[in-house]
Amino acid sequence: MTNATPAPKKKHRFWSMERKQSAAGWAFLTPATLMIFVFSFYPMVQAFLTSLKRGLPTALTYCDPLWRNYQRMLSDKVFVQSVSNTLTYLIIQVPIMLVLAVIFATLLNNKDLKFRGLFRTCIFLPCATGLVAYSMIFRTLFTYDGMVNAVLTNIGILSEPINWLNDPFYAKFVIIVGLVWRWTGYNMIFYLSGMQSIDYSIYEAARIDGANQFRQLINITIPLLKPIILVTAIMSTNGTLQLFDESVNLTRGGPANMTITMSHYIYNTMFTKNPNFGYAAAMSFVILIMVAVLSAIQTKVGDKR
Amino acid sequence: MREGALSKKVSRFCMYAFLIVASFISVFPLYWAFISSCNNTQQILGGRMIPSTHLMENLTNLFAQQDVWRAMKNSFATTLLQVVLSLAVSSIAGYGFEIYHDKYKDRVMGILMLAMMVPFVAVLVPLFQMFSKAGLLNSWVGFFLPSLATPFLIMYFRNSARTFPKDTIEAARIDGLNEFQIFIKMFIPMMKPTYASAATITFMNAWNAYLWPKVIMQTPDATTMPMLVSNLMGGYVIDYGVVMAGVTLCSLPTVIIFFILQKSFTNGVAGAVK
Amino acid sequence: MKKLVSLLLALTIIVSCGAALAAEDGKITIWTWDPNFNIAAMKVAKEMYNAEHPDVEIVIEEVLSDDIETRVITAASAGDISNLPDIMLIQDNSAQKFVLSYPEVYADITGKYDFEGFAEGKLAYSIVDGKNYGVPFDAGTVVGAYRTDYLEAAGYTIADVTDITWERFIEIGKDVKAKTGKPLLTAQAGSVDTICMMLQSCGASMFNEDGSVNFANNEVCKAALEIYKTMALEGVLVEVNTWDEYCGTFSNGTAGSAINGCWILGTVMGVQDQAGKWALTNMPKLSGFESATNYSNNGGSSWVFTNGTDIDLALDFMKLYRNVDFYNTILPTTSAIGTWAGAKEGSNYTAGNEYFNGDAIFAKIVEYTAHVPANQTGAFYYDARDALGTALTNYINGGDLDTELANAEDTVNFAMGF
Repeated sequence: MTNATPAPKKKHRFWSMERKQSAAGWAFLTPATLMIFVFSFYPMVQAFLTSLKRGLPTALTYCDPLWRNYQRMLSDKVFVQSVSNTLTYLIIQVPIMLVLAVIFATLLNNKDLKFRGLFRTCIFLPCATGLVAYSMIFRTLFTYDGMVNAVLTNIGILSEPINWLNDPFYAKFVIIVGLVWRWTGYNMIFYLSGMQSIDYSIYEAARIDGANQFRQLINITIPLLKPIILVTAIMSTNGTLQLFDESVNLTRGGPANMTITMSHYIYNTMFTKNPNFGYAAAMSFVILIMVAVLSAIQTKVGDKR
Repeated sequence: MREGALSKKVSRFCMYAFLIVASFISVFPLYWAFISSCNNTQQILGGRMIPSTHLMENLTNLFAQQDVWRAMKNSFATTLLQVVLSLAVSSIAGYGFEIYHDKYKDRVMGILMLAMMVPFVAVLVPLFQMFSKAGLLNSWVGFFLPSLATPFLIMYFRNSARTFPKDTIEAARIDGLNEFQIFIKMFIPMMKPTYASAATITFMNAWNAYLWPKVIMQTPDATTMPMLVSNLMGGYVIDYGVVMAGVTLCSLPTVIIFFILQKSFTNGVAGAVK
Repeated sequence: MKKLVSLLLALTIIVSCGAALAAEDGKITIWTWDPNFNIAAMKVAKEMYNAEHPDVEIVIEEVLSDDIETRVITAASAGDISNLPDIMLIQDNSAQKFVLSYPEVYADITGKYDFEGFAEGKLAYSIVDGKNYGVPFDAGTVVGAYRTDYLEAAGYTIADVTDITWERFIEIGKDVKAKTGKPLLTAQAGSVDTICMMLQSCGASMFNEDGSVNFANNEVCKAALEIYKTMALEGVLVEVNTWDEYCGTFSNGTAGSAINGCWILGTVMGVQDQAGKWALTNMPKLSGFESATNYSNNGGSSWVFTNGTDIDLALDFMKLYRNVDFYNTILPTTSAIGTWAGAKEGSNYTAGNEYFNGDAIFAKIVEYTAHVPANQTGAFYYDARDALGTALTNYINGGDLDTELANAEDTVNFAMGF
């Protein structure tokens, strides 16, 4: 036994089933991982170095003290405003949107529903709308003498029209409505495709046991969809913290910076105002940290294997 | 029992009413864009809700001003390429992360997730520097290379791979399939709904991409549909009828793609039950 | 499927190899953005130039103004300006910022081009440290276009709104409001266009000569904000939310006048059934300031040149911008009004305009252009505009004028302290 040839055995052990499979796994994930390292992390490192610098974009020098750009933010009223705006959108919009998306997906997954395909297409359609269309339409609908005011005053909900886009509170409201409109169908698609892989007989069994739709949702759908719900929650948090297009196109950040988001302000700092790359990079790292913390919390809460 | 039937009827009615209202709200804005392409500036700014007779006029003006066919061709080429390559690269990675997961791979995945967290505006300049040094300005490779592998798609496929039954893998191994073959022959067919939704989403994102393309593609030969539409908004005097005709043409492909891929969701059910 | 993928890959490689731009001799590339306006003008210039120099290839590419700026910023920051065109159009208000931030991008053309006859106020936008960087294109000269039918209803004529003060404008505005129910003026909420026009009409700016910000103790600015707020409270001025809506106030007959850069006439004249109902004159002036005039500027753009291009060739081509025939040809199709004084001799300039009751409005505008005072823009122009916009919004909503202006000054100083 002890004389058994050691070399081949070692080789055999090296390429054991498990090793072989693990190596296959590494091979599968390498191309994508490399790309992300090259096209995300490397520029990120560059951006971090920039965040420690000041001066004209072509003649950046290190700050003294190094964290000067980070210190600046605290006394920047517009930045503080943009953080507060962004967090407002996040706290209100993400839960509404995800709950709506789960409800739509549940209703549309019901095989007895008539016109399923039609409803599904309709609710998804906003995602297919280009940004120009979307912002133009919302701006036109919510103008002072626009359709929304006309309808709401006619049916008596409003006694007088609201200046939607030029009021700090209602302008935020319009952005949130816009976001929910644009992205609910998007999230619904993920839940629907997730539900496709849930065996339909589970629901039938539950129905025989007398569980109503709500109980089925809580006891079957949500637990089984948890990984996907987690993905969408993290994605939405992420997307909202980096919110850019809606702020730029719907309200242009106004009135008086009351709807501007962090990404929009960063973009302005780089491209529309006097270019200040160092400060812009520093602000984007604050977003990074916020997203990282929130995602970590969500992952801790939701991802229990 | 009768009461139960009644409440069932009521709840059915509520459900349909809810879906109809939601559908109406969802569809209305796009409907408005479509009918507005038949109206002139005055009618559009006045909020006209029904189509008028200016469609041909708007389309003629649009095609006279802009090379719409070139933009369509560019948009389709870049978008389809990006969808195919992106799904290939990201799905196999997601599969690799989940099926063969160990603590090292989980850690790598955790690191990749960080990449989602940087606002794109922050890496725009370093990324541009990189591509200009590599001589990839004005190239289609430069156009979609940065967005091929997205942490989001990887994570989506990774989480979907959790529902891929382990028995299937074991059975396939016993049948003599190698790991790559299992992915190609077992995973992809079974995960059709997942691929379909990922393809839809990637298509939308790629089709509507704007910030990066406008920086990296500096020649008009590479104009895409979103760039074309935004060009229409650039003048002192904006012809909103032409803008809406452009918007409509720009939205049609995404709508059509969704109609087509929708079938794959439904067909996917059969695959999953098998 | 595999075949498809490899086919697509091969396609990508072929396309990406073929797309590189090569610079040739005798070729001028131009970036500009509006097919009905500056692109159309450049196409005329190209035709006229090629008639005499058929060997020079002129390529006009459509790139949005914002996109030109983004591309210049990214290219300059990456240290690779080889993909920028020879000639670019730049917004006048951005010119200083770009030349100051990216001096290596733009060519100094001082002494290489004859600037005689261009309005001083217009040239000032593209002069940095006494050096010329741009050739002016269109004027943003402010015009006061009034609805004569609304004025008549209140017992006024166009002569009554010519060479007036803003106080008088408000009185007339109240009468018009009482008789027709229409506001005499409209503006986009949060936009400081009107305020900036008032400032420049006095030769005042948001900045001092040394480039420092000038809000807190800027008496002209205070007067302008007060006038604006009074108009808003009296209903003489109605604020709308978006640019689309602002344009809509002319087509749907809400606004009694359009006081803005002369390019607004394109929108005003877009409505057929209002022909003959408009008349054109100068803008009101601020009272109480010695330097006050009835002339100002809003918007407009200039051509700038990339370092490393064949400047002599590009400037030879640009000689067309001192050519009366050129301006005369582009006027009817583009309504682009030249800033070069010689342009007003053209037959299209001196001809009467039907929309404005046979008035020779274009010659009039070139005339106004010569009276426009220069102002300071500088690198922080847009920071200052933003801050002023915030101050204006807050002031209208009940904020204290001095506090708001002091805050605005702080905000700009903060941006400057980078």
